[in-house]
Amino acid sequence: MTVGRGSIRRGALIAAVIIAAAALVVEMAPHSAASDRPRLRPPAADTGTWGAGKLPAPVSPAFDVPSPRPLRASAYDVRWAPVRRPAVARAKPALAAAAVTRLSERTPEGTSNLVLVLGAQHGPAGGLWVHVLLPILPPNTSGWVERSALGGYRFVNTRLVVDARTLRATLFRDRRVVFRAPVGVGTPATPTPRGSFYIRDRLTRYASPFYGPIAFGTSARSAFVTDWPDGGFVGIHGTDQPGRIPGHVSHGCIRMRNHDIVKLASLMPVGTPVLIR
Amino acid sequence: MSAPRPPREALEIVEELDTRGRIRETLERGVGTTRAQLLLSALAGAATTTAVIAPAAAAAALSANDTRILRFDLQLEYLQAGLYTEALKIGHLSRPARAAARVVGAHEWAHARAIKHILGPDAVRMGFFDYHGVTEDERAFLRTAVAFEDLTAALLKYQAMRLDSRDVLAAAISLHSVEARHAAWLRRVAGVLPTLTAFDEPRSQSRMRKLVVSTDFLTPDPRTGATRAPGFTG
Repeated sequence: MTVGRGSIRRGALIAAVIIAAAALVVEMAPHSAASDRPRLRPPAADTGTWGAGKLPAPVSPAFDVPSPRPLRASAYDVRWAPVRRPAVARAKPALAAAAVTRLSERTPEGTSNLVLVLGAQHGPAGGLWVHVLLPILPPNTSGWVERSALGGYRFVNTRLVVDARTLRATLFRDRRVVFRAPVGVGTPATPTPRGSFYIRDRLTRYASPFYGPIAFGTSARSAFVTDWPDGGFVGIHGTDQPGRIPGHVSHGCIRMRNHDIVKLASLMPVGTPVLIR
Repeated sequence: MSAPRPPREALEIVEELDTRGRIRETLERGVGTTRAQLLLSALAGAATTTAVIAPAAAAAALSANDTRILRFDLQLEYLQAGLYTEALKIGHLSRPARAAARVVGAHEWAHARAIKHILGPDAVRMGFFDYHGVTEDERAFLRTAVAFEDLTAALLKYQAMRLDSRDVLAAAISLHSVEARHAAWLRRVAGVLPTLTAFDEPRSQSRMRKLVVSTDFLTPDPRTGATRAPGFTG
């Protein structure tokens, strides 16, 4: 096969055009693409593996705040729990132990039935039992309830001490006295029960001047007014006869002047232990 | 930062966590840089923020998306803070576990306060928790605490990619590393290896929701007040 001189010349020309075009593309490529491509490296002045580069300025905090202090448990912390389902309180932490009383979910006032927690331990079958102070007679009666019958714990660091001899109530927060007031307590025929109790609920906005503006329900029960409609529970409440306070004037309840019970209500949470002596 | 897909599940989860239904409809707002700065610094260790915050800053706003995410986180912080506090107060912990609970619990409260402040009126109220005896048994407490810290770190990783605001993202990152350290500390106390993998995977809010729901820790408030006339002995 023979190839003409003209064909060789045409081929050389085409090759030259292709080479020239390629050279032009290579020359222009950095200029056309660089403007759209993200700059991956810092400018030459900042190059180097550990160079700081040009980073955005950090956000300045608007204020300085201290670091939190570690949590601390107080020796005065006491916990309570609502009764979540009807349960039997037993003399020991075991299902086979004697029943002390039955606990319902509600108080006579329709609020959640609370128990003050004294401790907890595992029973012989491995289940967790909670030792609680019970709202029954005689005062200071305790029993063991299955943990699953109770709801979540709440903690208080307050305690109310009512001295039936000096006719004074004192509220402590931790070890500090935060409230003091004169009180009226039970008459000799219907004395206020003595012992350890706790606040079960708080009643407000009712229409009964006899009880004043606010009344606290307690776990204390009168041994002398047992036929009372709602079980003879002792309350801490206001009065419509402030002139009789302090004194031995009630059927077992602890009465306060109305401005004192209002002040107490702002300081004393439900679940607060009450010592009546 | 462009808005990623809104975590619709977050709203459902927060509503589920808030059993008392106190969550209000989130207001649609823009991102406020100053407010986000407050969050950033507050999350770095806020203890008492209210007194030192400028009124103008407090009035700034978060996007609806970031608000939903932070509300979810706030309830989780409450849940964790409550766990440590209760275990500490009951006092059944050994010395190393008690030391961890004191510090980690304080951090969780600080996180909760900071997030609550940034959310302002959109903040979720603290729920009522029932830990079902977990706080009365050290092994159960440590297992639960490790699970929550591990998953919180993984959750923050998930949320970080979905936040609208870069400032809130920066705050979330500062929170994330602290939660990871908590997890390592508690794992060590529990006697398990602090870390096993070279890379951590994010965990979604739906998984966290499932965990929370499965624990049954969130319960309705007990009713401690009433308006009926007293029936006391008088």
